[in-house]
Amino acid sequence: MIIQAKNYNLWYGLKHVLKNINIEIEEKKITALIGPSGCGKTSLIKSFNRMNDLIECSRTGGEIIFREKNILDRETDVVGLRKSIGMIFQKPNPFPMSIYENVVYGLRIDGENRKGELDSAVEKSLNRAALLEEVRECLYSLGTALSGGQQQRLCIARVIATKPEIILMDEPTSALDPIATAKIEDLMNELKKHYTVIVVTHNMQQAARVADYTGFMYLGELVEFGKTKQIFEKPKNELTENYITGRFG
Amino acid sequence: MAGFDGKFIEKIIEKGLFLFSLASIVFIVFIMLFIFFEALPGFSQMDLLGTKWAPVEGGKFGVAPLIAGTLLVTLLSLIIAVPLGISTAVFISEVAPQEVKLFLKSAIELLAGIPSVVYGFFGLIVLVEVLRISFDKPTGESWLAGSILLGVMALPTIISVAEDAISSVPKGFREASYALGATKWQTIWRVVVPSALTGITVAIVLGMGRVIGETIALMMVTGNSAIIPSPLWNVFSQIRTLTSTLGIETGEVAQGGIHFHVLFSLAFLLLVITLAVNWIANYSLNRLRHGNNHHNNKEKMIFELKNAINGNSESETKNGRKLNEEMKRNILSSIMDFHLRKFEDLQNRISRMLPSRLTQKIAFSMLTLSTLVVLFFLGSIIFYIVSNGLGAMSLEFLTQFPKDIGRAGGIFPAIIGSFLLVGFALLMAIPIGIGAGIYLAEYSKDNIFTKAIRNAIECLNGIPSIVFGLFGLAFFVLYLKLGISLVAGSLTLAMMVLPTIILTTKQSFKATPMEWKEGSYSLGATKLQTIRRICLPNSLSGIITGAILSFERAIGETAPIMFTAVVFSGRFLPDSPLDPVMALPFHLFVLSTSVPNSNHNAYGTALVLLMIVIIIHFAALHIRRKFKGRE
Repeated sequence: MIIQAKNYNLWYGLKHVLKNINIEIEEKKITALIGPSGCGKTSLIKSFNRMNDLIECSRTGGEIIFREKNILDRETDVVGLRKSIGMIFQKPNPFPMSIYENVVYGLRIDGENRKGELDSAVEKSLNRAALLEEVRECLYSLGTALSGGQQQRLCIARVIATKPEIILMDEPTSALDPIATAKIEDLMNELKKHYTVIVVTHNMQQAARVADYTGFMYLGELVEFGKTKQIFEKPKNELTENYITGRFG
Repeated sequence: MAGFDGKFIEKIIEKGLFLFSLASIVFIVFIMLFIFFEALPGFSQMDLLGTKWAPVEGGKFGVAPLIAGTLLVTLLSLIIAVPLGISTAVFISEVAPQEVKLFLKSAIELLAGIPSVVYGFFGLIVLVEVLRISFDKPTGESWLAGSILLGVMALPTIISVAEDAISSVPKGFREASYALGATKWQTIWRVVVPSALTGITVAIVLGMGRVIGETIALMMVTGNSAIIPSPLWNVFSQIRTLTSTLGIETGEVAQGGIHFHVLFSLAFLLLVITLAVNWIANYSLNRLRHGNNHHNNKEKMIFELKNAINGNSESETKNGRKLNEEMKRNILSSIMDFHLRKFEDLQNRISRMLPSRLTQKIAFSMLTLSTLVVLFFLGSIIFYIVSNGLGAMSLEFLTQFPKDIGRAGGIFPAIIGSFLLVGFALLMAIPIGIGAGIYLAEYSKDNIFTKAIRNAIECLNGIPSIVFGLFGLAFFVLYLKLGISLVAGSLTLAMMVLPTIILTTKQSFKATPMEWKEGSYSLGATKLQTIRRICLPNSLSGIITGAILSFERAIGETAPIMFTAVVFSGRFLPDSPLDPVMALPFHLFVLSTSVPNSNHNAYGTALVLLMIVIIIHFAALHIRRKFKGRE
C-alpha cells in the first residue's frame, strides 16, 4: 500500500463532493476509478496531489496518508508532493515549448541546468513513455505540433522526468482515437513496473483491460472497491452491477 | 535559484504586486480629490445658467454657452458618426470578403492611431477651408467643422466595438434565418443587428466618451467663441466647449485666482460627465458579456442535444460528462419552445419584406458607400499630410533647431523632447502596469476589493486627457514644485497610459490556457514559477502590444503636456529632468494656430508625427504576427 484515504471528505463551497472515502492503493499496480459523470472520480484523484487547492473555497475532512504523513496537513510541502505524485490530464496539455523543454520543465524549475543531466533525463523519460523513436529527430520542434496521442505520451514523459512514485491519470484517453488509446494502454502496463498508476476512466472496458484494482464511485461515495476481476465478474453491490451491465450511466 | 523560489520570496512578490494594483485606486481617488479641492472655491463663482463667459473682462463665469457647446458638438458628431460607423461595422463584419475585411480593420486601427493634433491640423487647413468656400461664409471655423472632425475621430471606436458585437452574434441565429429562406440582408437586418443591439449601444456610448473628452482638435477648428448658436441649429456658428475652455485659458490664467479655481470647477464637471458616460458604457458592456454567455450556453445545449438525439457520443467525450435522461428531456422541451417562437416570429417578419433581391442590392450599396466615405476621410488626411509634408522633409529638418519661431530650421528638439517625455512615462508606467495586471489576473480573488480596483482602472481610463493636464499642473507642477518640466509631463503621461498597460497585461495573462497552468502545477511548480515560465512567455506579445499602443497614444497627446512640460521654442535640449522640453504635438499645435506662414514646417511636423505613429503601429502588428506564428 502506497497511499491511503481515511474517512476523506471534500466540499466545494456547500457542495459535498466526496463522502467518507476509504481506499488503499497498492504499490506498482494500476487502480482504476469508474462511475457516472459527477460521481467525484476526478475530484478524488486530484485530492491525491492536492490539485483541488486550485479551486477556491474547497474544504476537506479526514486524512490522506502518503509516506506515513497526512498530506492534507497545512504544513505539507505541496510542491514536493506534486513532484512525487504526477498527473496526466484528460486533454493532452504540452506547454508551447519544444519537446525537449517540455520534458525537462520539472527539472528546470528545480534549478537543474546541467546539459548532461537534462539530456539523459530526456532520453530516459521519452524512452519510458514509448515516444523516443518517434521524436528522436525533432526534439527541438514544438511539443504542441505532435498528434494527440503523441502529445499525451509527451505529457507522460514530462511526469516521468520528475521521478514520481505515483502517476495520476484523469481520463487520459478520452480525447484520443482507438489506436492512440491502445498505445497508451500498453504504456500503462509498462509504467506499472516502475510506478503506481491511478486512472480515472469513463470507459469500463478500459478499466477491465488494464486495471488490477477497480473502484466504483457513485454520488460522491466509493460504492465498491476490489480486484478488477471480482468487480466485473462478481460485484457485491447491486449499484455496481447495474452500472457495469449498463443499466444506468 | 532555490532561494529565489522560496515561499518567503513568493509572498513578498505577491504583496508587491498587490501594492502595484492599488496604485490605480490611489490615483483615481487622488485625482478626484485634488481637482475637487482646487475646484471648491470656484463652484460658487460659476453661474450655471449665465450666458456670458467673460472671465477676464468682467469676471463673469456663465457656463451655459460652454455646456451648450459641449452638448451640441457631441450631438452633431454622433449624428454624423453613428450611421457611418455602424454601417461600416456591418459591412466589415457581414459583407466584406476576408482580405478586404483585414484591410479595413487595419485601416480603422490606423485611423484610431492618428494623433488628435494631426486631425486638428487637417481640420484647420483643409476642412475649415472647404466649408468656407462651399458655403460662402466669412470663416469655416464652426460648430459644423468641429462636429465633422470629431465624428471622424469617434469612428474608429464606434466601428471596432460595433464590429465586435456584430461578429459575436452566434452563427446558429444566422443559419436559422437562412434556413427559413431569408436573404443575407434580411438576416442582417432582422436577426443579426437586433441581436447585437446592446453592443452597438455600447459602441455609441464609448464613441460619445471619446467626443466629450477631446480638446486639442476642437480648439483648432471651432473658432472658440463662447456663444450659444442663434438660432440653435445654426451649425455655422462658432462654438466653445468645456474642454477647449480649459485648453485655452489654463495656460494663461493667474494661478490661485478665482478664474483658476473656476477652471478646475469646469474640469470637475467634465470629469463627472465623462465618468458617468463611461460607467454607463461599462455597465452595459458587462451585461452584454453575460448576455453573450447566455447565447453560447444555448448553442452548446443545442449541440449536445443534437448529439444526444443522434446517439452520437461525441458530446460525451468532448465535455467529459453525460447529460442524464431527465436533463435531456428538460433541455429538449425548452429549446423546442424557444425555437418555435423564434421561427414564427422570423417568418412573420420576413413575409412583410419588400422584393428581397432589390432591397438587398440597395442596402449593400449603402453599406459600401459608408465604408468608402470612412476610407475617403482616412485617405485624404494621409494624402494631404504626406504630399505636403514631403516637401519639408530633409535631414536638416530632422536634425536642426527651429529658427524664425518655427517657420524655418528643424524640429530636432521637439523629436527628442517627445521621445524623452514618452520614454520616461513608459519607464514608470510599464513596471507598475504589468505588476498590477499580473496581480489582477493571477492573484486577486473575486471580492469587493477587486471590483473596486477594476472600476478604478476603468475610471482612470475614461478621464479626458485635458483633465490629466490640469491635474498635472496643479499637483506636479505647482504643489510638488517640479515646475513645467520633463518629469512633470512624464508623470502625467504615465498616469494616463497606466490603465492601458494594466488591462492589456491582465487580458493576455487571462488568455493563458488553464491546462498549461494545471500542467505546470502538477509537475510541482510554484505559482511564481508557473507565472514566470508559462504565463509570462505566453502573454509577452500581448504585453508588448499594450506598451506599444500606449507609446502610440502618449506621443500624440497634447493636452496632458501643454501645461506641465512643454515650451514652444527651446534653443537647447533639456539639461535635467527639471527643464521644460519641446514636443512634436505641441509644436504642431502652436505652428498651425499662432505662427502665420509656417504651413511648410507644420506639414513637415505633422508628417513626422504621423510617420512615428504608423511605424510604431506596424511594429506592433509585426510583433503580434511573429508571436502568433510561433505558437
